[in-house]
Amino acid sequence: MPKSRLTNTVCEDASELASRSHYSAASAVKTEVEPDLSVHEGTSSRFLGVERATVSFGEGGARVCPLRGVSVMFKRGTFSLVMGPSGSGKTTLLSMLGCLLSPDQGSVFVDDVLVNQLSETEKTAIRQKKIGFVFQAFRLFHSLSAIDNVALGFELRDPKQSQRLEMAQELLDKFGLGDKSHQEPNELSPGERQRVAVARALAGDPPILLADEPTASLDAQAGRNICQILRNQVDEYGRTVVVVSHDPRWREFADRTITLCDGEIEQKENDL
Amino acid sequence: MKLAWQNIIHDRSRFSVTVLGVSFAVFLMVFQGSLLVGFLRAASRLIDASDSDIWITARGVQAFEFGTTLESRVREMAAGVPGVMQTDRVCMAFAVYRTPKGKQQVVALVGADPNVGKRFPVPDVPELAGEISPDAVLYDVSDRDLIAVPVLPTEVEINRHRASIERQIQGYGAFLGVPFLFTSYRNAIRYLGFGPDDAMYVVLRVSKGSSVSDVKQSLQERLPEVDVLTRDEFAHKSRMYWTIKTGAGGAILTAAVLGFLIGLVVVSQTIYANTMENIEEYATLKALGAPKSLVARIVLTQALLCGAVGSILGLFAVIPVIDHAKSLIPWIYMPWWLPVLMVLPSMVMCSLASIASVRNALTVEPGRVFRA
Ligand SMILES: Nc1ncnc2c1ncn2[C@@H]1O[C@H](COP(=O)(O)OP(=O)(O)OP(=O)(O)O)[C@@H](O)[C@H]1O
Ligand SMILES: [Mg+2]
Repeated sequence: MPKSRLTNTVCEDASELASRSHYSAASAVKTEVEPDLSVHEGTSSRFLGVERATVSFGEGGARVCPLRGVSVMFKRGTFSLVMGPSGSGKTTLLSMLGCLLSPDQGSVFVDDVLVNQLSETEKTAIRQKKIGFVFQAFRLFHSLSAIDNVALGFELRDPKQSQRLEMAQELLDKFGLGDKSHQEPNELSPGERQRVAVARALAGDPPILLADEPTASLDAQAGRNICQILRNQVDEYGRTVVVVSHDPRWREFADRTITLCDGEIEQKENDL
Repeated sequence: MKLAWQNIIHDRSRFSVTVLGVSFAVFLMVFQGSLLVGFLRAASRLIDASDSDIWITARGVQAFEFGTTLESRVREMAAGVPGVMQTDRVCMAFAVYRTPKGKQQVVALVGADPNVGKRFPVPDVPELAGEISPDAVLYDVSDRDLIAVPVLPTEVEINRHRASIERQIQGYGAFLGVPFLFTSYRNAIRYLGFGPDDAMYVVLRVSKGSSVSDVKQSLQERLPEVDVLTRDEFAHKSRMYWTIKTGAGGAILTAAVLGFLIGLVVVSQTIYANTMENIEEYATLKALGAPKSLVARIVLTQALLCGAVGSILGLFAVIPVIDHAKSLIPWIYMPWWLPVLMVLPSMVMCSLASIASVRNALTVEPGRVFRA
């Protein structure tokens, strides 16, 4: 994928979104490939992350508080790994970064835009334009072939994209699935399915990629394969990747590891 | 949008159930609709077949089949009203029919003067002169089993009078199970034992230049003891009698509405189940940034596809069945606009059925994508 495409497929609504938050439109539209060195006046860049975010579910005695005042920023063009024991709030953190969950308190930034005040429609637009998702359970559309799944990714980012089948085929070729593009998800191995899911997430060049346990359902070889693909996204295309995983193999691919424990950040390794 | 198609193609068995539900409903609606249209048509077909402007009936006659004799002076007085150009007589009464083999059958015997109407089936019209005798008896082809004549002409008995069945006609088959026989007026009153001047209905034509309503009014003034109705009024009264007052129309309509409702239930059940089965995929779609309108469109497209395919299938099934039913229910009638019209409710049905599904697909939490 040529790097130039990155800049012009990015959110058209970004200026509108940005104008609603207190960040400038110019900074919202910016998604250049090089790590973002620009610093906003008085604050450091808040490309992606949460500040003093607290999340709770339920009421009264049944109330759980998976995140308590967590602050963490992810720099543009970096690969971050979020680890921690089960129930420590990793998925909750990722959901906030993906505009799928709003914190009770605190702020969420995506592509330099404060998103937790935005409407559902605006958050949907941000997910559509800026964020690619990879799930543990793949979440491919069962009735669509591999190529149609990826093409749907292109279609969602740009409904007018007429070359989406060709582009989907190109992506699948790149991930070694060129000859399986017309198979349905249930005809593919878990590793192949996850590669299709990654291709779908990458369709349309989102600047951000969020993955929750992407290798938990895969064998060692397929897992490494996915790790390498995600790493390449950072190195070759300057995407920002956040992976949640229990899997220690990811450490060697990550620029930085954040460990959550009991709703709080326990450790930030190689903090950038 | 491809997702909508693919979901349908992929889950064929579920799709078939939905389509069957829709086609069942369309079938029932078209069939019952044809019954209703045919019933309405049959209820007034002899009145509609007359070329007259005005019908005079005994007071309170509700339908053509239930006439009673008028006094003979009615016709004379009517003929004297200014603007009345021509008066003719029509009678109808039940009679006992005996086949050549001696089988007995109740029939409705209709007699009319030759000028009542071009489409009114009587033997003594100039067009048939020479082909059949003026006192011939005609019967509808759909009643051939009841009339049971091996060849034409055949001598039979009507109310113990000799009669000659000479011709088959079409479009006037048994209504409510009793076959109709048609003959000339003077022949009919002979079989029925009416006096020479008795008539059940006096039908009349208004001369050119006179207004039907004016003539009707003067007739009513001169003949206060009878009902004077325009042809359309009497036709309407007859239809209303059969459909509303007897409840037959209500029964037919109820079945059509039931068909719609049953279809609605079947279709909403399957569309709903289908949506719920794929609810995780709708959540994924929303998480990936699909706007609500797209999600709604996908669910609705699936429903409407079911509606379209189901309608077509239902129509393909109902048309031959109606054709076949004509031998049992000769008056059933499917006008061309009926199937066209039924596609609309079936689409409405599918849209209604998908409301709950669309709501669920729209309200599903996209955040659940990371769970499970
Ligand atoms: N929608 C929700 N409603 C109620 N509780 C929730 C919800 N989502 C998460 N939780 C709770 O929040 C806590 C943290 O959940 P989270 O999924 O973030 O953990 P996790 O670190 O991803 O764990 P795992 O490694 O098992 O995936 C858990 O106790 C969980 O039960
Ligand atoms: Mg988790």
